[in-house]
Amino acid sequence: MPGYGEDPEWSDIVPLPQDDGGPNPLAAIAYSDEYSEAMSYLRAVMAKNEFSERVLRLTEDIIDMNPAHYTVWLYRAKALFTLHKDLRKEFDWLNPFALRHLKNYQIWHHRHTIIEALASDLDEKSPKIDNMIREEQDFLDRMFTKDAKNYHVWSYRQWLVERFNLWDCEEEREAVDDLLRKDVRNNSAWNHRYYVVFGRPNAPKNTTEGHVLMQREINYAEAAIRIAPQNQSPWNYIRGILSHFQQPLSNIKSLASEFASLEKPDEVKSSHALDLLAEIYKEERQLDCAGKAWDLLAQKYDPIRSRYWMWKKEQLGTAAA
Amino acid sequence: MSLVAGPGRGGHHQPALPDELELCVEKHVAYIKSLDTRKDEYEYWLTEHLRLNGLYWGLTALHLLGHPDALPRSEVIDFVMSCMHDNGGFSAAPGHDPHMLYTCSAVQILATLDAFGDLEAHVNGGKEKVARYIANLQDRDTGTFNGDGWGEKDTRFLFNALLALSLLGMMHLVDVQKGVEYVQSCANFDGGYGTGPGAESHAGQIYTCVGVLSITKRLDLVDKEKLGAWLSDRQLPNGGLNGRPEKKEDVCYSWWVGSSLAMIDRLHWIDQEKLSKFILQCQDSELGGFADRPGDMVDVFHTVFGLAGLSLMKHPGVREVDPIYCMPKDIINRVVGG
Ligand SMILES: [Zn+2]
Repeated sequence: MPGYGEDPEWSDIVPLPQDDGGPNPLAAIAYSDEYSEAMSYLRAVMAKNEFSERVLRLTEDIIDMNPAHYTVWLYRAKALFTLHKDLRKEFDWLNPFALRHLKNYQIWHHRHTIIEALASDLDEKSPKIDNMIREEQDFLDRMFTKDAKNYHVWSYRQWLVERFNLWDCEEEREAVDDLLRKDVRNNSAWNHRYYVVFGRPNAPKNTTEGHVLMQREINYAEAAIRIAPQNQSPWNYIRGILSHFQQPLSNIKSLASEFASLEKPDEVKSSHALDLLAEIYKEERQLDCAGKAWDLLAQKYDPIRSRYWMWKKEQLGTAAA
Repeated sequence: MSLVAGPGRGGHHQPALPDELELCVEKHVAYIKSLDTRKDEYEYWLTEHLRLNGLYWGLTALHLLGHPDALPRSEVIDFVMSCMHDNGGFSAAPGHDPHMLYTCSAVQILATLDAFGDLEAHVNGGKEKVARYIANLQDRDTGTFNGDGWGEKDTRFLFNALLALSLLGMMHLVDVQKGVEYVQSCANFDGGYGTGPGAESHAGQIYTCVGVLSITKRLDLVDKEKLGAWLSDRQLPNGGLNGRPEKKEDVCYSWWVGSSLAMIDRLHWIDQEKLSKFILQCQDSELGGFADRPGDMVDVFHTVFGLAGLSLMKHPGVREVDPIYCMPKDIINRVVGG
């Protein structure tokens, strides 16, 4: 591919080299490579505020070489809006790009900007919105096949749920189910489930209906615990639910006892179950048992945090007094 | 400051017996100083969008290593000033757009160098101008901050804003109470915090949220036992810390997890000896620098956070770091008081 310097389309532009801000800015730089050349053309078009088709191609080229350059993304978005481009076409380029650059977050900010602009041109009840959302969900599922814990993608998905009121959308819970079937330890998926079920504006309350939901979610987490008892996510999930409904931990004593018991101190299958059991004993004022459970954690099942477990045990003294 | 990776690798050139691991102060100083001469490498230009952050990381690392004068003060200030824009914000490098992340790094560098006077000398009323740029990014409805005029939101920016404003002594320009309430709205069911309400708990975001509550003296709002439990659970059997459940250990989390624990007075809940050893295993003892984990290339980012992690644990040879500001403690005492 010829460089911009030999391309007749760019012959009217005088490239602007890098000002490094140092005392001798130009000396330090070798301008031989493609990236530096493309950047010097970008500086030149930015200096004269040019928005054109060739600018769009130039930004694609630079982003391809260096996707973390946020100024280029911003300039591209400005160009798209100024030229009144069909924004849906942006995804033809953006989607494959996102699948290749998993660590980049500028992509997601750009996507957010584009979707917001598309949505603001449509009526909230338009079927076109539903289509757009479905396409977004499908694409996010594809992203998760590459990295199921990608923080940027999950943040984007949460924004989508909130922005388009997807709290009751089956797709959201299904996406989570699907990911947890593949990897029950995916904490991001657990968090998203909590977000959709309990993080919504009208979160379930302490009513009969709410309790049905509580039991459904506890059952869901229980099933996951049976697959991998040492996985902390479903244990945290259940604790979060109980605290949301202000229920005592003793509600799940039998579950905890399945995976940890003071009678069989050598057969503890989950340190999380053992800690939970200790706290239930504390709730029940069986302080000796609670202390024994924390001793076991400190000495045998989680010794790297022995100071933490010993602190918890010491607190029992305060509880007894 | 260049963000080029290598040439060293974590764990290389180390003694056969792990007990003999020592912090190689002089090697790290030489490594950081050498970064400024590596402008002919392609990667130097690819990381231009982080340059001002990189300078802050390198400068802070040198201070923690007890070599505060290893970089020429006036050149550093000149570079920082060349990144300042008319609106009071700073960009990563000249010709880029201003952003909260770089504005915060600029203020941290200027504070470290005791150079607010230089800022005033370059721009009349410069301090206030910078503070107003930051203050204008606050979303007055929710209390949080945008990163730039484009509306990207993240609890990181809220922290950056309050950190920089407190160094500048200009917290009164923003609605502090609303910012505190926003952080509270980000508290999760597992005791941690994320980038926004309901976002997955992440050690880096926890650092920023607890940092906001520390700067605003509202740590009373933190469930310290629950958060401390989550944070201490980040330690893996090899001593290193991860940033989320079921993720790999990484030296930079020594700082984000460690400083958060230090801010809520629970650093003793992890095994500090094991963590120190893990961090030391990530240094290249000959070529200098730290990597995210043994075997990987070193870089300045993991170098400063590895050193800051060691400093939290009072490792010999490292100056005391402030757990909120990630700057030398004595400098924070000078700028914002003890
Ligand atoms: Zn890292």
